[in-house]
Amino acid sequence: MIPQAVLDQWYPVAMTSLVGPWPGRETQLLGRPIMVFKTQSGAVSVQTAQGQAVAVTLAYGHVWACLGTPAQDLFALPEAAQPGRRLVDCGVVRVKCSPLRAVENFLDIAHFPFVHTDVLGAEPHTEVGRYEVQIRDDVDEVWATKVHFYQPQAAKSAAGGIVTEYMYRVAAPTAAVLYKTCPNRTNEWDVIGIFVQPLAEDLCDVYPYMALFDDVTPQADLIHFQQMIFLQDRSILENQIPRLLPLDPGMEIPTQADLTSVAYRRWLKRKGLTYGAQVVAA
Amino acid sequence: MTNWKASGLSKDLPPANVMHADWQGVDLAVWRSASGRLSAWVDRCPHRGMRLSHGFVRGETLACIYHGWTYGVTGACTHIPAHPDMTPPATITATRFEVTERGGVIWIAAKDDPTAPPDIAGFQPLRSLTVQVGEQALLQALAADAPGLTEAEGGLRGTVQIAGLDTQICLMLQPKAQETTLHILCGAGAGPAQVSRWAESLRRQIEDRSAP
Ligand code: FES
Ligand SMILES: [Fe+2]
Repeated sequence: MIPQAVLDQWYPVAMTSLVGPWPGRETQLLGRPIMVFKTQSGAVSVQTAQGQAVAVTLAYGHVWACLGTPAQDLFALPEAAQPGRRLVDCGVVRVKCSPLRAVENFLDIAHFPFVHTDVLGAEPHTEVGRYEVQIRDDVDEVWATKVHFYQPQAAKSAAGGIVTEYMYRVAAPTAAVLYKTCPNRTNEWDVIGIFVQPLAEDLCDVYPYMALFDDVTPQADLIHFQQMIFLQDRSILENQIPRLLPLDPGMEIPTQADLTSVAYRRWLKRKGLTYGAQVVAA
Repeated sequence: MTNWKASGLSKDLPPANVMHADWQGVDLAVWRSASGRLSAWVDRCPHRGMRLSHGFVRGETLACIYHGWTYGVTGACTHIPAHPDMTPPATITATRFEVTERGGVIWIAAKDDPTAPPDIAGFQPLRSLTVQVGEQALLQALAADAPGLTEAEGGLRGTVQIAGLDTQICLMLQPKAQETTLHILCGAGAGPAQVSRWAESLRRQIEDRSAP
């Protein structure tokens, strides 16, 4: 039984630009087969195997679907509409892990020197300083701010090592966005996201997303950079035990550097969003 | 009856290396420090569950590949790179199994075992080979194809005709669901290359026969 709270959320199910006519993209959401296709009028429709149309929203280059009754509108990402930004669709990566583990890994900086060695981090610059984490009740999101980390090559357009400032945001149960110091404009943030489609509790499609101020780097290089990062993450995500994200303390050992992960787990548990999670019987 | 299970050959785990081993269905990380000390731990980092067998050995420590948490040979966490000035609490430890070496074979047991691992003096470790059949099917096949081998502690031993020569063979079995790893040791008789070829053709024969 999938909890109603899980069914009432928005999840990405396709890249809008790739949706074709019936039967379109035959895929799965929360273990249930669905089809994502364009109707004759050109609208995008998402249907269950029983032919039932479900709620759909098109946003940020992706098709979002809700199998239940949407608990709220899809999160806002105003930067997506900001002039001068390049929106980069990075395709999709299939990962054999819990969708929640994929999001948690995206929120993590301490792994940069070890998993993205010499790109997003490098020894001996491994320290994660204090940062601030909040579960914001006004927007019902998890936010981490004032995160600083030394990076040898923070973005495709960064020439050398810099201390990068980040903000992290869990905008939906399986969608997270990070804002990072923009190497090209001091008063703006580059926006990078991952939208995770929960195929099953231990299988997901991950769509990386970027909205950058970078009109120099060729599109192919940007995509290649982001894909390289995600393939490195995949080698971790497919080798964590247990596969499901433990929501109860005791199974894993967080430190101060893991405060975003702690808040994410607490937020999921409080909202009853246990799909892809391991919950010890209460 | 010994609880020690053959889990690899010593020569396949050089200093400053880590490997994965299956011990009775439990995933383990087996590693050797730069100075040669051997450890076998549950293949799960206490921090966030990453497999420790994907980690890396530095000197006398094993570091997890995810966030670099570092563990000494006692299993205790000695360093958390995200907090380099903090001394990790003593409660953070990897879960240890018993591990020892005898006759060039790595033996693992769940807890301190007063018995010694099987004596395999007179045999030289040759290589390990994984056959895609379960243990029972493998034992049946070996009874038919190599009748000179009889059950001995930890595996099979006996005489096999290889390249026209009576050859002393010792096979230590490491079963895992639908596959079995054979740790092959040999005594007097045919040379290592010939024994190795014999083992490979035996594997093909057994796998072909059990193929659906
Ligand atoms: S999971 Fe091993 S260091 Fe984080
Ligand atoms: Fe990563």
